[in-house]
Order: sequence, then structure tokens, then C-alpha cells
Amino acid sequence: METTDINLFVRTSEETISDWNRSRITDALIRETYIDYDTANEISKEVERMIWKSEVKMVTAPLIRELVNAKLIERGLENERKKHTRLGMPMYDVDSLILHPNKENANVPHGPEATNLTLAENIKKEYALLSVFSQDVADAHMNGDIHLHDLGFIDRPYCSGQSLEYIKKFGLNLPHSLSMAKPAKHPEVLLAHLVKFAAALQSNFAGAIGWDAINIFFAPYLEGMSDGDVKQLAQMLIFEFSQQAVARGGQAIFSDINLYWEIPKHFVDTPAIGPSGQFTGKTYGEYEKEAQRFVWKLFEVFKEGDGAGRPFFFPKPLVHITEKFFKTDGYMDFLNHISDVASDKGNTYFVFDRGETAKISECCRLSFKLEAHDLLDAKQPWRMRYCALQNVSINLPRVAYLAHGDDTKLLSLLTEKFVLTVKAHKEKRSFLEKLLSLGEDGPLSLLTMNRDGMPYLRFNLASHLVGMVGLNEMVQIHTGEEMHESKKALKFGLKIIAHMNLITEKIRTQDGMKIVLEQTPAESTSYRFAKLDLHHFSPASGRIVKGDISTGEVYYTNSTHLNVKTHMNPIERVTNEGIFHPLIEAGSISHVWLGESQPTKEAIADFVIKTFKYTSNDQIAFSPEFTICNKCGKTSRGLHEICPSSTCNSPDVDGITRITGYFTKISAWNKGKLGELKDRYRNAEFFGGQKKAVNE
Amino acid sequence: MGIVKIFYKDDCPMCPSAKNLQKSLKENNVGVESYNVGTAEGLAEATFYGVMALPTVVIEDEMENSLGEWRGNVPKMEEVLNVVHGS
Repeated sequence: METTDINLFVRTSEETISDWNRSRITDALIRETYIDYDTANEISKEVERMIWKSEVKMVTAPLIRELVNAKLIERGLENERKKHTRLGMPMYDVDSLILHPNKENANVPHGPEATNLTLAENIKKEYALLSVFSQDVADAHMNGDIHLHDLGFIDRPYCSGQSLEYIKKFGLNLPHSLSMAKPAKHPEVLLAHLVKFAAALQSNFAGAIGWDAINIFFAPYLEGMSDGDVKQLAQMLIFEFSQQAVARGGQAIFSDINLYWEIPKHFVDTPAIGPSGQFTGKTYGEYEKEAQRFVWKLFEVFKEGDGAGRPFFFPKPLVHITEKFFKTDGYMDFLNHISDVASDKGNTYFVFDRGETAKISECCRLSFKLEAHDLLDAKQPWRMRYCALQNVSINLPRVAYLAHGDDTKLLSLLTEKFVLTVKAHKEKRSFLEKLLSLGEDGPLSLLTMNRDGMPYLRFNLASHLVGMVGLNEMVQIHTGEEMHESKKALKFGLKIIAHMNLITEKIRTQDGMKIVLEQTPAESTSYRFAKLDLHHFSPASGRIVKGDISTGEVYYTNSTHLNVKTHMNPIERVTNEGIFHPLIEAGSISHVWLGESQPTKEAIADFVIKTFKYTSNDQIAFSPEFTICNKCGKTSRGLHEICPSSTCNSPDVDGITRITGYFTKISAWNKGKLGELKDRYRNAEFFGGQKKAVNE
Repeated sequence: MGIVKIFYKDDCPMCPSAKNLQKSLKENNVGVESYNVGTAEGLAEATFYGVMALPTVVIEDEMENSLGEWRGNVPKMEEVLNVVHGS
């Protein structure tokens, strides 16, 4: 039988209907898998026979490909089959995706743009696991030993931290953009540049975009402006970032703005850049008052909330508390001001830079500690651009199940998993290097643009993050006690993190790669690991996972945190969780869940001072809960089934609180996080329980 | 009677004198625990005690209350003995 004898049509992937042509199978096999002509030709004949026998009149290209794949498997050509595989999703899944919201990331709304994002992510995930990572790394991810974060964004780095100085100095001059803008002359234009650049960066990074010392770098533009105009600018900044729901996938830009009351030591003598990208002749140390005016107004806006009095989800304000903070005039008034916002709306993150430490924080808790060469760069802050290439987390409870109580085995297995995460980092790094090597004509052109003698992405300084999930459960499985139950258990947890810390140092010395520990936000990973372990390590895991097995709302305790359900004085929690923080270089946080309680600003300020002075905790945030009524528009304190307003009582309400490192609507949360929410101890005994409607 | 905890690292310049102190204390029948921060056990203990400089010497009573500490330097033998026996 000859190909031309077959009266068959093929629906091709180019949206055409073609006549049957067997040689296309042979050509594709040789092109994509490099197998020899004879084998390819033989396979194409077999597939042709199969189709001819079935007597179908129309076949699709994906069906032919799968039939060819079956023939490759029959011949034991597994690697060739992988190369020849087609990526995509079943009809049922696409249907479901278009109709139902994505629960993996509560920052992704439901809509056509979000659907596009998720579809693309799913294909890129498959591509990453088949093509970027080796089989053992991909398998470890699939079976839940480790978790490769943001696989759907495999072709970009993880997150980025930079300063406003880059666009102040060079304007908005992006590769392939339709127009270029010179450095801004006016504060409003600078703000527009900032927001556009942030959106451009969001398209080139998987996660958060952080801005360093933003109130300080805006300061030279604010001279001569009235307080009212500065407030207006603050309002514009916050609303612009919080309403960027037209960006990638309808997703707000995960933005962190780092703020200071004082001018930190490393910027005091830095020459300031003002309008038109010109040096003003002054240093940033001379702009303290303007920087303070701006940060004060920013928090006034956070305190007021959005048009309905709700807290802003983004940008996240991270206030750095340093030794100098306490020596700067007006610090107590400012601390009360931001503590008021923390209590009322929950926005404020308190970041503690003790001693000589200087940091840029972003992505929930990721921070980059500034080393000697960075502090030199602080004299030219547009050079201060940092990124993490990838984040990989280790399932710690899994290691403990496998160790069966044997200390040596536990550490040895942990090392094995750690080495695998490093391998994953090397593979992603190598993939990104390939993309970046294509320069301004490649997919990451923005990151290769060179305006100051080096590419925007300073690859040589990039970090590689290793996270941990479920230390508390690992200790519980191995020692029989959770970490809050005894000093011995807490110290055992410390030993695990110390072990991981020592491995990072060793790899840094051996391979020259900057591997750092980070408390993974693990919004969906703590759920995924718990669910997988329930399947693989039952019945033991049934006694260990937290949450409610009957409803499937299960989770592992995040990173090195203590059990969220335990009734514990928040000072004790922040102190004990903070013991781990010096070992986790890329950043940590402790959450103080407030529920309906609304502590006084003085109580929060006192808590913050004590945390700075008497603990080693890196960062804290206070998280109140809210109910917004979609009928009457009222925002109330606490989570309620119906609108608590006596004149409304509508059941059409949304709950809002912090999921991991950001606020969002609870209706978008995954099951694991819902389980955790039910368990959270809300410190009512410590902070009292004042209740009021926040926009009354 | 107090117990002395000494934190050191193999490559720190002042740590040999901390090791000498450890030896002398043992000869004087003082309870000493030493922790090498280059090991997971030692680093964990050092982190628990907030050790930021090496060597560090901490003295505690039996209830683990702090009686004295020297961070980033090594005390004289007599100073340690005074604290240990004074408790």
C-alpha cells in the first residue's frame, strides 16, 4: 500500500486539514529524536497500518504522535519517546480550568487572562520536568521529596530586588519597547516609570519584585511640594500597585516596598539623583526630612485603606528597624504610626536589621544581606540589583518517616535531598544561562539590557534558595515531641537547620554557587507534601499531618514555624521562632495572628521594640481578619458567615486575611491553607478582643 | 556549682586559648562542655545561645540560668573559677 492510496485527512497543529503523508512521521522522528532513518521509516509504516485498519477518515496530529510514541515504547526507546512527546492538557482539564478558579496561588484571579496564564504554566511545567531537569530531580519533585517552585515560570528567574535609582538615572528605555522615556523630571512621571518598569519586571521574573528604600530615593523629587501633594503622590503609588490587575494573567504585581525612617548608614553619603537623572549636589543623608514626610504619608494611606476601607493587598510595606532607627528624631511617633496601621489593617512588616546588617527584603520573607562589595555599590545604588534564580523546598517530614528514628540516617537522607536540590539549581541555572546568552534578541532581553556596563541581571551575584517545609512535624516524627513541647525538641529542630546551613557553606566553597536557606512561603507546598505523605506513609502520617483529614484540609507547619494551633504567648512564639532565624540567611518571618483583636498602637510598638532588643527574630507581621460585605460594602473586623451589620446580614461576604506573606480573599485559598486558618491561635488572651467595623 | 560552655571553631585565631582554658578547667574539676560550631550539634547550640562571636564562654547554673558570659574573648581562669564557685 502506498501513502497516496489512503483516503485520510489529518487535522494538523497549524489549524489546517491535510492529506495523509506518512513521510511526515519519519521526518519528525529524525528531526526530533535523532533515530536512524530505517527505524523511523518502519515506525511510520506500522502507524500507517494501524490507522488504515481502524478505517477512520479523519485523525488529529496529537493522536498520530501518541501512536508513534506507543511504537517507540514497544522498541524500548524511552528517551526518544520523551523527546517526541507532545505537551498539553486534556479537554476535561481545560474545560475545568476555564470554568473554575485556580487555587494554587491565591494571587491569581479568575478570568480569561488568568486562564491563559495557567494554561501556559501547565505546558511550561511539563516542559521543565521533561526537558530542563534530569529524571531524578523531576521524579523527586513528582513524588514529593522536594518541590521545585514556580515550574510554570521555568524560563525566568525567581525574584528580583532593585532600587528606583536605575530608572531615575537611565529613564525607561527597555529593549524592543515602542518608545523610550528620558529620566523623569517630575515625581508623578517617576511614579509612572516605576509602575511600568515593575510590570516589565513581573513579565521576566516568576515572583516578587522588591524596591529598596523607596521613600529615600523619591525624596529629591519632593522638595518644595506641599504635604497635601506628597499625600497625593503616596496615594497614587499605593493605588497604582494595588490595582495592577491588568498585568500578567490579571495578577497584581507582587510588590514589596522597603522603607526607612532614618537614612541607613550605607546611603548617608551617597550622592542623590534628582529630576532629569541629574545629581543634585547633595547626599541622601541631607534628604532625611523629605524621606520621612513621604513614608509618613504612605502609612496614612495604608491606614485609610482602599475606597471601601479595606486593607491594600499590595504593595507590601517593609519597614526596616535598625540600631540607628532608635537614635533618629521622631522614631517613637513613627513607630506608633506604623503600629497603628499594623493593628488596624495589618499591612506593616517590621524587618529587623540588627548590628551592621543591611538588607533588601522581598517575596514574603526573602532578603538579600548586603556584603562588603554591595555596600560599595551603595554609592551608586542603580547597581544594586539582586535576584534569586530558583526556589526548591525539601519535604522534611518525609525524611523523618524514612529514617525510622535513626539519627545518622536522618541526617544522611537530609544531605541526600539537599544535594538533589543543588542539582536542580545547577540545571535551572544552566537553562537560564542559555536563554540569557541570546542577549537582547533572546526571550530575556530585558534582563540582558546593558545601561551601566553590565547586564541588568547580575547573574554572578544570583542566589539559589533552598527552603524547608514541616520542620515541626519532622521533629515530632523523629523525637515524639513537637518543637513547642520541650527544649530538647526545639534544639533538635535547630540541629536540623544547622546541618542544612553547614551544607550551604560547604557548597558555596566547593562549587562557588550562592546557595542560601530561605523560609519558603509554601502557600501550596505545605498542603501538597502533607497530602502526598498521607498517601505514601499512612497510617503514621495520619497522626502527624495537621488540619482535618476528614475534609482533606491537611497541611504541614510552614518552614521552621511552631505549631500554629498551640496557645502560646506571642512574645514566646516570636522569641522561640526567632532562634532559627540567624541560620536562615535569605530571610524569615514570624506571624502574630490577631483575628478580631485590635491591640493599641502602643502595645504593638512595645512588642516590636522588645522583639528587636531581646530576640534574634528577623521579621514580624501582625495579621488581623476582615469580612467584607459585597451587598452593603461594609468591612468588619473578624471572619463572619454573614455581614455583621444589623441592617444587612447578607450572606454575600468575603473573608480577608494573610495567607502566607500577603493578604487575600479566603475564597481563593487552597484546602491546606483553609485547614491552617481554622487552627490558627489568634492571641486573643494576649491582645484582648476589641471589635468594631473598620469603616464605621 | 556552675557549668561552663565553650564555643569555638577550628580556624578561629583566638580559639586555641579557649581550648587551653577548657583543659585547665577540667584539671580543676570544673564541668565543661565544648561545642565546635563547624558541626551541626555545635552550631545548633551556639545559635540557641545567640553566639555571634568566637570564642564564647558561657557559665550557667544547674537550672540553666546564666551566671556569666564572655563573647568574642577568653576570660582568665580565675575569673571563671570565681563565677563557677560563687554560684
